Order: sequence, then structure tokens, then C-alpha cells
Amino acid sequence: MIELRDLSVVYPGGVVGLDSVDLTIPDGQFVVVVGLSGAGKSTLLRAINGLVPATSGSVKVDGEEVVGAHERQLRDIRSRIGMIFQTFNLVTRTSVLNNVLCGRLSQVPTWRSTLGLWPTKDKDIAFDALTRVGIVEKAYVRASDLSGGQQQRVAIARALAQKPTLMLADEPVASLDPPTSHQVMRYLQRINRELEITTLVNLHFLDLAKEYAERIIGLREGKLVFDGAGDDVDDDVFRDIYGRSLTADDILETPTL
Amino acid sequence: MSTSAAAASARPTKPRPSPWRWVIVAAVVAFTWFAAEQTRFSIPELIENFTRANDLAKEFWPPAWEVARGLVDPFLETIQIAVIGTIVGCGLAIPLSFLAAYPTAPGTAVRVISRFSMNILRTMPDLFWAILFATAVGFGPFAGAVALSIFALAIMAKLFSETVDAIETGPLEAVRATGASRFQAVRRAVWPQVRPNFVAYAFYIFELLIRASVVLGLVGAGGVGTSLNRWRQFFQYDRVMVLVLITLVIVLTLEAVGALVRKRLS
Repeated sequence: MIELRDLSVVYPGGVVGLDSVDLTIPDGQFVVVVGLSGAGKSTLLRAINGLVPATSGSVKVDGEEVVGAHERQLRDIRSRIGMIFQTFNLVTRTSVLNNVLCGRLSQVPTWRSTLGLWPTKDKDIAFDALTRVGIVEKAYVRASDLSGGQQQRVAIARALAQKPTLMLADEPVASLDPPTSHQVMRYLQRINRELEITTLVNLHFLDLAKEYAERIIGLREGKLVFDGAGDDVDDDVFRDIYGRSLTADDILETPTL
Repeated sequence: MSTSAAAASARPTKPRPSPWRWVIVAAVVAFTWFAAEQTRFSIPELIENFTRANDLAKEFWPPAWEVARGLVDPFLETIQIAVIGTIVGCGLAIPLSFLAAYPTAPGTAVRVISRFSMNILRTMPDLFWAILFATAVGFGPFAGAVALSIFALAIMAKLFSETVDAIETGPLEAVRATGASRFQAVRRAVWPQVRPNFVAYAFYIFELLIRASVVLGLVGAGGVGTSLNRWRQFFQYDRVMVLVLITLVIVLTLEAVGALVRKRLS
């Protein structure tokens, strides 16, 4: 369970990322966060795992406070939160397996991971994660040799290798073509359902949001302006969240002619 | 015609070059002329001296190959000094560079202190370190190895920390987000990105140290420099020539091996 109470983030320089957001997300939910770029979607996700420090308020993940947590506590909380990025953020100069094993770093003694002497148990977890995203045959391939969609699946596997209870995905399909986008979204959805991992996804494509979201949260200028079930959302709601009329750029698929 | 003229008028005007440009050019020219005057640098004189360089060439040529046998041990010592200097210096440069580079420094204070100490190390010439350690631990190869370690550390830390400055930070953020410690994240997300550069720099530094250790012999820090110093004092340039040619072969060989390794790594 995630509980945000009166959460505000102000960046150095005075830009407001989040403005007193209150939000509770129960275990196992698949939540999509929508909003224009700059509305605070990325800040929201990064405040949950402490990559961006909160200015005031409280963030609790499974009852543990993130705001003001010390390095050691923060690492412990982060180890249970997987994160996926728009640009995949793989270490491209090393193998797929080495990337996925990064998800095990918090559980493996430093001397072992430094020398590459990973315990068999952790290698098994990494291979299982790769199997789950259907890419285990690429384990020993250099990450840079993979396509964008494959790289994002490796990134999902890296997050899965953490055995997380929560998954944060920051615009996971913004760099991918439409069919690949759906494939990646389906993997996230399946992981959410089969492993019961609470999932928070930032999206700016409204059709994708509607198709996959169990619950949709709308942000505008750092404020929470909408919170409702995915089925309840129509174009009027999106117009409200965006504060403008919708355009072809707001949807992934061009409507069939 | 009229449309292209209209299109041309829609273009923004090219920004005027800064008036400082001519001031800077004038300053560079003036300083060059001043420096040449002061050092009595003269191209005609250089040409004249080299056209009667026949006498000079006679001093150096033919090389006195008979001394080559006696140079085997000093050269081995020179190479050993350079190997130790490279390994110790480059090894120490790894943590220092990560502490000094923007993406990996644990805090502003640590970064500033690391950068500052790097600059201090680099400001001192290698001969200074050689003289310092020769005084401290006595003349010989040990002093040379320590001096060259610091020399290697200074250069490597500069080159390597700037490489770390330029990494992609996305993977580092992603690995930190898994709950990994700073050290683990640097090892797993940064090191693979910069390792090829590190190896290339290490070969370059090994080459530098071979040449530097020849010079260090002049102050009694071991290696072939001792022979160089003796022959130079007695004007035995045909023997110096042998030493120069062997150094040339070693450096060229290193260059070739280094290129091969770099190719394998990239």
C-alpha cells in the first residue's frame, strides 16, 4: 500500500513538481497517471522511491516512511520497488544477464557482485525474470544489440529480479512504436495480475491509459485533479485534466479510416 | 524571384562576430613575437645550424651497438619501474576519479577536495617527485617507481575523471533505484561504460612512463637514465643513439599492442 499525505516537491530554482498531493493506492492495483508533460507525473513516481526528495508531506510504502529516510533505510525501501524508464536505462556495454542481475545487488554481498561471483540462487532469479518477459535466449547478448522493445523487456526483468511489491513505470512506451507499446503494456499488466505487484504507470497516450488502467489519476501543474476508475473516463475528463482540447498527438493509434 | 527574396528576408540575420575576436588575435600575435624575441628564436639560424648538421650527425652515427648488451639490464629495470608506476598509479586513480567526477561523487565537499588534490598532484613536475622520493627513500629504482606512480596517478585521474563526467547517468539512476549502494551502482552501471577508455589511457600512460623513467635516471632514480647521464656527460652520442633507438622500438611496440587491445575491447 502506498500513502501520500500532503506531498509537495519544489525543485531547487523554485519549480513546483508536486503541490500537496493526497493519494492512497491499495495493494495490487494497476494505476495509470496521466497529465501533460511537466504536470508532475515523473516527480510523483520519483518521490515514491526517493529519487526526488520531497519538500514536505509524507510518503509511506508498506507503512515505511520514505521522506527523510536515511541512506540505509531508503535502499531497503527501494529494493522492494522496481522502476522502469522511458529510455530503458540499461548498461548497454554489458550483457543482458548482467543488467538483470543488477536487480539483485541489494541482496548480494558487495564483494560477490563486485567480482561477478553471483550466487546460483540469484542467477536463477535473474533467469526466471528473463523467462517471464520472453527474452531468456538473449541472456548473454550485449544489451546494445537489442531492439528498443527488447531492451524495455530486459529493464522489466531487471525490476522483476528485485522481487518487488511495487512497480513504477515512467513513460515506459514513449520511445516505442505502437505494436511494441502494446506488447510492453501487456507484460506490465500480466505481471500485475499474476504476481500481484502494485503498478503505477505514467502515460501520455490517452487510449493506452483507458485500455490498461484499472484506475486513472490525473495531474495538472503538480495538483491531483482527477482520481477515478479507468472505465469512468471519457474524453471530457481528459480535456479537464489537460486543460485543453484533445489532439491526434494525445493518442497512440491513428483511428482507422 | 520575388518568393525567394521574401524567403531570404524571412531568415534571421547572421549574428555579428564578437569584436573581441580581433583583440584576441592581436594579443596572440603580439605575445608570440615577444616570446620569440626574448628566447632569440630564429628560423634562419635553425636552418643554418641544421645545414651544417653533418658534424652533429657524425657524433650520433653510426650508433655504438657494442653497448647494447650492457643495456639489457638497465632497460629491464626501466620497464619494471614503468610497470609498477602504471599499475599503482592507475589503480589509485580509479577511486580518486570516481570521487572527483560529477555523476559519481558522494557529495560536493568530497568532489571539491578530490579535484583540488588532483590538481596539486598534476602541478608538480615528475622530476620534482623523483628528487623528493630519491631524497626520502634513497637513490635507486624504488624512488623512481614511487615518483612515477604519482605521475601516473595525476595524469590518469585527470583523464579518467573527465571520462566519468561524460557518462550516461540514466543507468546509474536505474541501478540506484534498485536499492543498490553507491559503490555497487558505480561498479555495475558506470565501470562497464568507462572501462575501454581506462584501458586505453593505461597503455598511453605506460608509454609515457617508459620515456619518463629514462629521464628520471638523470637524477639517479634507476633504469637506463643512469647510462644516459654518463654518456651525455662524456659526449658519447653514438652510445646515446643506441639508447634512443631501443626506446623508440619499445614505445612503438607498446603502441601496437595497445591498439590491438583497444580493438578487442571496443
